[in-house]
Amino acid sequence: MNSAQREALAQRVLARSKAEQTEVSVSVSDASLTRFARGISNQNVSTADRTIAVRAIVDGKTGVAATSSIDDASLDALVARALEIASLAPSDPDIQPLPESGPVQTPPTAYVAQTAEAGPALRAEICAAIFEPVETADYWCAGYVSTSSTGLTVVNSSGAIASFDGTDAGANVKVTAPDSTGFAERYAANIAQIDGTSIGTLATEKARASAQPRAVEPGEWTVILEPAAFGELFGYLTSHFSAQSFNDGSSFFAGNLGGRYFSNDITIFDDFAHPLAPGMPFDYEGAVKRRVTLVDRGTVMNYVTDSYYAKKLGVANTGHALPAPNAYGPQATNVVMAPGSATTKELIASTERGLLITRFWYIRTVDQKKAIVTGMTRDGTFLIEDGHITGGVKNLRFNQSIIDALAHATLSSDQHRTAQYSYSLVVPSAKIEGFRFTSSTQF
Amino acid sequence: MEFSSLARRALDTASIRGAGYADIRFEVVRSERIEVRNGIVATLADASSTGFGIRALVDGAWGFAASADLTDAGIDATAALAVTIAQASASIARRRFGEAPAQAYVDRFATPLATDPGTIPLGARVAGLLEAEKLLHADPSIAVGRAWIDLWRSRKYFFSTIGSAIEQDIVQTGAGLMAMAVAGGDVQVRKFPGDIGLYKSGGWEVVEEAALAQNAARIGEEAAALLRAPQCPSGTFDVILGGSQVSLQIHESCGHPAELDRVLGWEANFSGTSFLELSQLDALKYGSDIVTIVIDNTLPSGMATCGYDDEGTKSGVSDIVRDGILRGYEMSNDTARAIGRESNACVRAQSWEYVPMIRMCNLNLLPGTTPFEGLFEDVRDGIYMETNRSWSIDDRRLNFQFGCEIAWEVKNGKRGRMLKNPTYAGMTPQFWNSCDAIGDAASWYPWGTPNCGKGEPMQTGRTTQAASPARFRNVTVGVGYRE
Repeated sequence: MNSAQREALAQRVLARSKAEQTEVSVSVSDASLTRFARGISNQNVSTADRTIAVRAIVDGKTGVAATSSIDDASLDALVARALEIASLAPSDPDIQPLPESGPVQTPPTAYVAQTAEAGPALRAEICAAIFEPVETADYWCAGYVSTSSTGLTVVNSSGAIASFDGTDAGANVKVTAPDSTGFAERYAANIAQIDGTSIGTLATEKARASAQPRAVEPGEWTVILEPAAFGELFGYLTSHFSAQSFNDGSSFFAGNLGGRYFSNDITIFDDFAHPLAPGMPFDYEGAVKRRVTLVDRGTVMNYVTDSYYAKKLGVANTGHALPAPNAYGPQATNVVMAPGSATTKELIASTERGLLITRFWYIRTVDQKKAIVTGMTRDGTFLIEDGHITGGVKNLRFNQSIIDALAHATLSSDQHRTAQYSYSLVVPSAKIEGFRFTSSTQF
Repeated sequence: MEFSSLARRALDTASIRGAGYADIRFEVVRSERIEVRNGIVATLADASSTGFGIRALVDGAWGFAASADLTDAGIDATAALAVTIAQASASIARRRFGEAPAQAYVDRFATPLATDPGTIPLGARVAGLLEAEKLLHADPSIAVGRAWIDLWRSRKYFFSTIGSAIEQDIVQTGAGLMAMAVAGGDVQVRKFPGDIGLYKSGGWEVVEEAALAQNAARIGEEAAALLRAPQCPSGTFDVILGGSQVSLQIHESCGHPAELDRVLGWEANFSGTSFLELSQLDALKYGSDIVTIVIDNTLPSGMATCGYDDEGTKSGVSDIVRDGILRGYEMSNDTARAIGRESNACVRAQSWEYVPMIRMCNLNLLPGTTPFEGLFEDVRDGIYMETNRSWSIDDRRLNFQFGCEIAWEVKNGKRGRMLKNPTYAGMTPQFWNSCDAIGDAASWYPWGTPNCGKGEPMQTGRTTQAASPARFRNVTVGVGYRE
């Protein structure tokens, strides 16, 4: 379903509603993924899905209903259900008019036809390219190659009309050697940028270089976090930049907007137009998404809002609503950390004794307010001695405040998109002093 | 049976296109969520979705395609795509591994319901939540109160080329509370029941059993009291875990490592592998002699309870750990055959959009013989912890660290003052071998988890780990905070 078809469908639904205010969203997705492990494809899938959602507001009362069916009877029932739910809901005194939209500009590289049209044979080709260096080394691997195209149209009774089409592609691989592992990943809107050979080669080299890992003592270490690790860690701080977290006091900077928390190297934006992760120029209410400076050289500058929290807190709507309804409030969904000035090699060379970390695993919040998280290293953890990588080490568990980590961080000059989360994240590598490891594991 | 003609069309198409075996699963899914946040109905949503997923087997390799397009053209295109994908899988396979199931079933299953949630007026559902949420605000420090209900119903229609035709009507229900207290630069949270609410197979009776309004004020008061409570000390202590925390411990340190696809390396790049290697089967002393953990997908009210799994295998009961020894895995048809066993029906898909895969189902620690209060009697210096707050474990499921919302010190067999921010850590086999008492049947409860993540594309699974409170000796406590 293209944007014109989605818009026509959305208007058909909007015309059915007798509510004071109505929002209709039509989302479609075509997502495929070839997963592989130990020389077989254990999950090779393709799903074509669609959702039509209606938010109806009557006397300050909101009802939301959704369906996958698009026949007239189903659409009639959808609107009637949203209205019925709204009629039974209590009134919310803070409810806001549905936002109007404005001119939006989708980043030109957000949609790539070659990605949308990619089939299982192309994904198999990329898989085979990944396998080659792994099998040459007599290791085994597990990972995936994925492609997807998504479309979203939002219309509402305030006149908002906004449509977005985007694509995404990605691959990651974990390579397993007799006593070590390595990992590599690549994500882009354009499938042509997913080079199976380079991904397979990098992960194989990491597995080879971390062979015969030594055990090191937990404690405070200087660490260099590669983008996959740094992104995984930093991702657990992004929800603090929600107006809802700021308002309810659970954000680390609640009551102290403008406070300096991090090192001078730390500047963070929410930027849907970043070339490494081009995204949607409006939010799920159809409001125009603004580029927001969250942190400027260590100082927290802003949080993100939606129409509800903008009015409640008396600030501008930055256009960061999630699909209604949700319990999370507005969220930064296109997070970009600005690069530093040193190369990753220079960060390593300047380290007398430290650890180079490829990737983290199973990070969870230990303390919300202090942003203390725990997690494990994974898939390529190396000892640095006198500025050189001298071999692999066994994996370690950390307990670390992200705020303290960013206060002692120096960033690399390159940026990478990491992981395919529900939000995009672009980060450099980071050198962090005094990173706290509390135990180790057996491998 | 509904969808049978579309199923025949799909399976014929797949066979003609070259599939040696195919199955199709239609699902009509309905979900309703109501959430009250600080006196406002933040979520009142009703979603329905209908679609189908087709698995095709070609030359020992699988393909899966799914669509919401229920027209003949949609069925034909999706069946053909499943075969094309299977052919692509075969093109990169270094060996055959897929085989058709051996046995076909024609049957029906429906979740027993005391009260169909659909018979409770929406206004009454909302009113009950508003009342419960209001009671959470028992102290001025409560910045956020939340109360919620989830109602899920999935009608599944499974057909296969070997003749299976299985209709299932599965109803799952959940309800819970959360109070967040904020003051003095600290945030403390209490949830109820357990760490995510009460989730079971069943109808409105689950919401009634959750007893939200009856417990809301206590939960709010406890969140506020935690702000004033002393920090849980660090050191080595005997630890008693509440039932929902033992459930989480089973989930993370037994349920996931016992998934046979994980053992075989299929989850290596994402969810990880497992220390429960095939060489350990029937040999590893996983836990102490009193530790027996079984799969029971017939458990009344279990979140994973059904008649048949999403490969069409009949539900049953089997051992994972018996008297402390590793005896089995959670298996699919393919993976079971790879180790010379038969599937124990542990395959689930989140919904029609997703490929069926091995999932933790109802995995239960059998009750012991110690009355709840008896768990404390022999403890000179210990910590009693309740309700999970954070959970992390390495990607072979050995090194773990869990945090709880609330704890109490235990001195000479008596529960003492409240403690905040408790965490504990260990290595899985050592931890379970340190278990020297498990609560009796009176304290055993089927704790449900509605949000277990696994797979790529990631799927959310619904599972139950029935458990009693249990005691563990000489556990490392307090690692989460800098001293």
